[in-house]
Amino acid sequence: MKKNLILSITVLVLLGGCAQKAPNLSGNVSDATGFNGESVSTADGNGISSPNGAMIDGRYNSSSDGFQSIYFSFGAYNVESDMYSYIAKNAENIENIGGSQIKIEGNCDEFGTDEYNYALGLKRAKAVKEALVSKGISADKFVLVSLGESSPVCNEPTEICYSRNRRVDLRVSR
Amino acid sequence: MKKFLIFLFVSSFIFGADAKLTIEKGGDARKSIAIIEANDSLGGSKGDTLYSILLADMKVSGHFLPSKEKIQGDFHSTVIPANLKSYQYILKYKLTTEAGLSLYVALYNASNGSAIFQKSYNMNSQSKYPFLAHKAISDINDALNLESIEWINRYVIFSRYTEPRKSEIVLADYTFNYQKTIIKGGLNLFPKWGDKDQKSFYYTSFSGKLPTLYRLNIYNGKKDAIATSAGMLVCSDVSKNGEKILATMAPEGQPDIYEIDVMSGAKKRITNFGGIDVGGRYVDDESRIVFVSNRLGYANIFKQSINGSSVVPVVNRGKNNNQCDAFGGKIVYASRETSSASSGNTFNLYLANSNGGNIYPLTASGENQYPRFSTNGKVVLFVKNSRDGSQIGYINLETKQSELFSLGGKKVQSIDW
Repeated sequence: MKKNLILSITVLVLLGGCAQKAPNLSGNVSDATGFNGESVSTADGNGISSPNGAMIDGRYNSSSDGFQSIYFSFGAYNVESDMYSYIAKNAENIENIGGSQIKIEGNCDEFGTDEYNYALGLKRAKAVKEALVSKGISADKFVLVSLGESSPVCNEPTEICYSRNRRVDLRVSR
Repeated sequence: MKKFLIFLFVSSFIFGADAKLTIEKGGDARKSIAIIEANDSLGGSKGDTLYSILLADMKVSGHFLPSKEKIQGDFHSTVIPANLKSYQYILKYKLTTEAGLSLYVALYNASNGSAIFQKSYNMNSQSKYPFLAHKAISDINDALNLESIEWINRYVIFSRYTEPRKSEIVLADYTFNYQKTIIKGGLNLFPKWGDKDQKSFYYTSFSGKLPTLYRLNIYNGKKDAIATSAGMLVCSDVSKNGEKILATMAPEGQPDIYEIDVMSGAKKRITNFGGIDVGGRYVDDESRIVFVSNRLGYANIFKQSINGSSVVPVVNRGKNNNQCDAFGGKIVYASRETSSASSGNTFNLYLANSNGGNIYPLTASGENQYPRFSTNGKVVLFVKNSRDGSQIGYINLETKQSELFSLGGKKVQSIDW
């Protein structure tokens, strides 16, 4: 520290006596400010378990606790008619489970973009919630969360794979 | 020590000379500059990387036309080699391990050998050495009275997925030669600088039952919970004084844009639409916002007053304009120009004014996303994604020069600088 100070003063003294026309020569000293501050490193969360997804009764499913995942078309967030039977099955499952809260997780393929993709996942989760509410389930029963494209069950560059990621998973909230 | 004193002596001699310098105003013509590495400069990969960073800094500034090959020479010699006199300037540098890591730079007028600028830089932390080069080039730029390129000294912060439901938040210099993971474990996304000095940043944590927005001081580790929301919660923009933020929240499961007073925690809902409203950015002295919405049936850029409900579309071309950033009276937005559900899509970037006029294409192919203006609005950072990973690009809006830096095999989730 002392050494640096002496050097800095020496530089200033030497340069201070030099007449010249060149611009911006002031502060010609060791410039450490802003370099030496060390940023922290921290951990936040141990991660949430990732769904594997499996083929059950001819359909893929990455939900748990007896629920069936609901799948969506590219860029869409409406529950399509071929998913109605699974909505009904999920509503039945909620009745059977009893008092637990249900977590509805919206997911997307990798083609979207940061915030918009998370909003798309959320709209999918909300659409499933509303479909379940229309089956008589209380809206207070649900916790919604969008996981955007962060939780793929498949990483192959194929349409079948991408379509498995455009989904809503349901599970008991723990 | 002895060498340094000799250096100081030579410095005083050089600067005592009757320097005569002609500075071209405006910076619209690039300055040709020969870069000379001192014979005794630190070699190896660190030396090579430093040279490539100096070169990149000059190119991306849009102000310099650096020599194509590395030239070596005597740092202390005041003689300009005859073959370099065709350049306008000569930059000499020397990297040493003195007191950690030190970089000495000297800039000369190539035609008459007069000294223009000389400075030494030092740091204890060797891992951050790219910042030595950035600071030196931005200072040289300033010494020539060229428009500031201070943005090259800033940190870039980004999140990237590491595996399903896991990510990390990383601090980097703009060339990504310096990288430090500052948050790991769990799913932590959407980092956004919380102040102009880059001391803290906001991010969304998924470690609890609901998404939670935190602000983390990167120097002392202090972490404050700012808000929690069902569904999603993203900090999209921060006011100039840092007191307010724009956030996409969904307390009722409906993604809309809110303004949050950071100190009081008071939330004000700005947009109110049954579809998707995301990505709010302050414009027009923070009296209005631009944001992405699908209210016309497809993603597009809209504008609304902070205190009003009238919404107007900003962009009248493209059918999927799903990201934007704003600076003063201009915006840059990403447009998805194909809609394949089974393969990579083309995303291009466009520059426009905040009323949608003067649209200018910035990219022509590939997946170009996450456009972010520099702090002076002269450069746009963007992410070029492919299945092999991400590259970070910079486009100088005045010279249209661009540089790409590889980021390895992991895909960027969100980025800010």
